[in-house]
Amino acid sequence: MKRCVQVMCLLMLVCIFIFPAGCTKKAVKKDTGLEGAGIEEAKRPGEEGLEEAQTGGPEWQEPTAEMALYFKDIYFQYDQFNLTPEAKETLNKLGEWLLKNGSVQVLIEGHCDERGTDEYNLALGERRAHSAKKYLTQLGIDGDRISTISYGEERPVDPGHNEAAWSKNRRCHFLYR
Amino acid sequence: MKRILTIACCGIMLLLSRQCCAKVYIDIASPFATRLAIAIPNFRNTGQQADTAGVLTKMPAVIADDLNLSGFFRILNVSAVADDSASSGITASTIKWENWSMIGAEALVTGGISLSGSELVAELRLFDAVQRQLIVGKRYFGTLQDSRLIAHKFSNEILKNLTGEESIYETKIAFEIGSRGKKEIAVADFDGSRMETITSYNSLSLSPAWSPDGKKIAFTSYKDGNPSLYVKDLATGRTELVSHKKGVNITPAWSHDGKKIALTLSLNNGNSEIYIMDVNSRALERLTDDWATDVSPTWSPDDTQVAFVSSRSGTPQIYVLDIATKRVRRITMEGGYNTSPDWSPKGNRVVYAGQQGSVFNIFVVSTDGTLFQQLTHNQGSNERPSWSPDGRFIAFSSNRTGKKEVYIMRADGSGQKKITSGSGEKTAPAWSPFLR
Repeated sequence: MKRCVQVMCLLMLVCIFIFPAGCTKKAVKKDTGLEGAGIEEAKRPGEEGLEEAQTGGPEWQEPTAEMALYFKDIYFQYDQFNLTPEAKETLNKLGEWLLKNGSVQVLIEGHCDERGTDEYNLALGERRAHSAKKYLTQLGIDGDRISTISYGEERPVDPGHNEAAWSKNRRCHFLYR
Repeated sequence: MKRILTIACCGIMLLLSRQCCAKVYIDIASPFATRLAIAIPNFRNTGQQADTAGVLTKMPAVIADDLNLSGFFRILNVSAVADDSASSGITASTIKWENWSMIGAEALVTGGISLSGSELVAELRLFDAVQRQLIVGKRYFGTLQDSRLIAHKFSNEILKNLTGEESIYETKIAFEIGSRGKKEIAVADFDGSRMETITSYNSLSLSPAWSPDGKKIAFTSYKDGNPSLYVKDLATGRTELVSHKKGVNITPAWSHDGKKIALTLSLNNGNSEIYIMDVNSRALERLTDDWATDVSPTWSPDDTQVAFVSSRSGTPQIYVLDIATKRVRRITMEGGYNTSPDWSPKGNRVVYAGQQGSVFNIFVVSTDGTLFQQLTHNQGSNERPSWSPDGRFIAFSSNRTGKKEVYIMRADGSGQKKITSGSGEKTAPAWSPFLR
């Protein structure tokens, strides 16, 4: 009996660590885009709201040569918006810098490669930008300092039509003001 | 569009008494109907002024293209009888009927054009060449610039009289045109002619969507930084900001009653959901509630359901949501990436773009699962399908020539035809409703 309880506990732990949201929701069909299913918390209706967009203010700028060491693009897998270990490492450096430079605001641009369709990619780009924003806020950066914008597949950094180009285009790019 | 047409649209029925109303020449419901053999000889100059603009040959060519597109006609080669046309009239009593019987014509279009400066009067007639009687005749008043539009108007008359149904020859297609990260919204005739851009923001303007009366176009633009939703009144030229939420305000779709716009908004965690906006009050009703990306709504003909894209199964697939109950069911079962749905204005079919290997193709599926059909094959990547208002044609974008252009085809995938050209990539076509 005790052993049985131990196994149950172990199973629950596995569940909590491996499928933070997936466990409480019904099983998700294994498809190529599954990874996102395990990342996002399931929200009750109305818990996440809409806000009016703020426009205006100083122009967003490309990072200076000095800042470029910290403001590096992060990259994503196809049709994914979860952060890779490399992306987290890059964001750790950016987060550190932002903590030291408390007056700087950041704009996170979410971009996609051309392979998906343009409308879906606009939505996907927004999620990529928010993945980065959420991670930075977890590092202690005030969310009010971080803006997001999705360009979908409309502004590729590499115009090529091959994986080398696509992998560069599935990115978040960071501007400041 | 800005130009007020000087065409007196009240084309005059020339011979009402002999019009043949009851006869249905073409049964559009019958897939095996033989094509009607029609002769469209060059128009005749009935005035004093020489036709330096070439409308006498251009107008019948436009009508021939229009009728060809429908798939209901066999356009006869009239060169064998063309030499004789000078001595053959354009009215029932003056036409040399034996010339047309000889080449097997079942129907005949004649035109008489009279020019005065840039003014133009066109007298166009459609005859039953077997019974040798008039089916419909119209007189149009306009300018040389209107000659193409007049030809389309008469094509509409021909189809309406032969099939009993309204056709697409006066409809338009809106699309994105651009390059290097900038796009404007353009509008052209359904055959790609007379294109004009309706935005000039030097920004990204995306996803045009027509109001059901054809008077307004909703679109997303980054012109003020955020991807917000705007509505442009085509008559007044006024553009109004209608949704300015943080994140995306994208993929507008007007309900058929004109009272609502379905759109995609992102919550403050970046998750996009489908909303319905009341056009007058701007009040929002949220339709979807899911961790996944939900995008690209399209209304059922009765406005009680929307089809949309969701990645809730792990990959983007098409779902149908009942607005009253919010109940959702998946309708695409084939393929791992299906997006860009457009619900047919006539019935239960949804057209969409589905990924196959490294390209997309256009598919049609019925919402009850009884129909699944692939419409494009082995010709580049084909995206963003949009139904014509009669449900008989589909516009889409394709890169088959190496550059993205707008194409149209019949609803069964036949008759695929590129309608745009010139510089810039053309994407996201949206077929207008009937415009008169």
